[in-house]
Amino acid sequence: MRHVLWMTVFASLTAVVFGVVAKGSDRQRLIYGIKVFAEFLVIAFILGWILYFLPLH
Amino acid sequence: MVTREMDHTVEKAPGRAWMLGVAAWAVPGLGHLLQGKWARALLLGGVVWVMFFTGLAFGGHLFRVSGNDQGFSAILQLLPMSANFGAGLLYIGCWLTNTGFAEQAQRITYEYGNTFLLVAGLLNYLAMLDAFDIAAGRKQ
Repeated sequence: MRHVLWMTVFASLTAVVFGVVAKGSDRQRLIYGIKVFAEFLVIAFILGWILYFLPLH
Repeated sequence: MVTREMDHTVEKAPGRAWMLGVAAWAVPGLGHLLQGKWARALLLGGVVWVMFFTGLAFGGHLFRVSGNDQGFSAILQLLPMSANFGAGLLYIGCWLTNTGFAEQAQRITYEYGNTFLLVAGLLNYLAMLDAFDIAAGRKQ
């Protein structure tokens, strides 16, 4: 669970920077930042499930 | 004629923009702060500082090319070192005090720490370019 927490912290901090340096109105940048944050989490969960089924142990 | 007109539209960045770019790299957030962009300075600088120190607290390690690295090994260190170097004086301070360069792979958060440290530097490069663009008048 702590891994998810730190991944979420990482995604949120990175999304803040991406949102701030993006071009457009404040609203557009806010939406972009939220999209980046959501993409980080969704991709991480997808990769996590793919790795879960791989016989790596 | 067209070429001549286009040449006029390419503006050279003023020296102040370069100075602010260097300041933004050296101290995360300073480039925006000197331009009066308080909110941006707080957000961009805050994220870099928080990520850097969180990375160190997690047991992540900074990269550098040392005399022990030869040939391909030295090249492999160069890429992550350039990412770490983006943190500016934070990295240089650690280098001078030999802080954060020891590997602590036994810690469970070690990989998180490495990632936080690397990304802190890379994000500061983005913040630096943003400060430069604002100072050069290429961005609002």
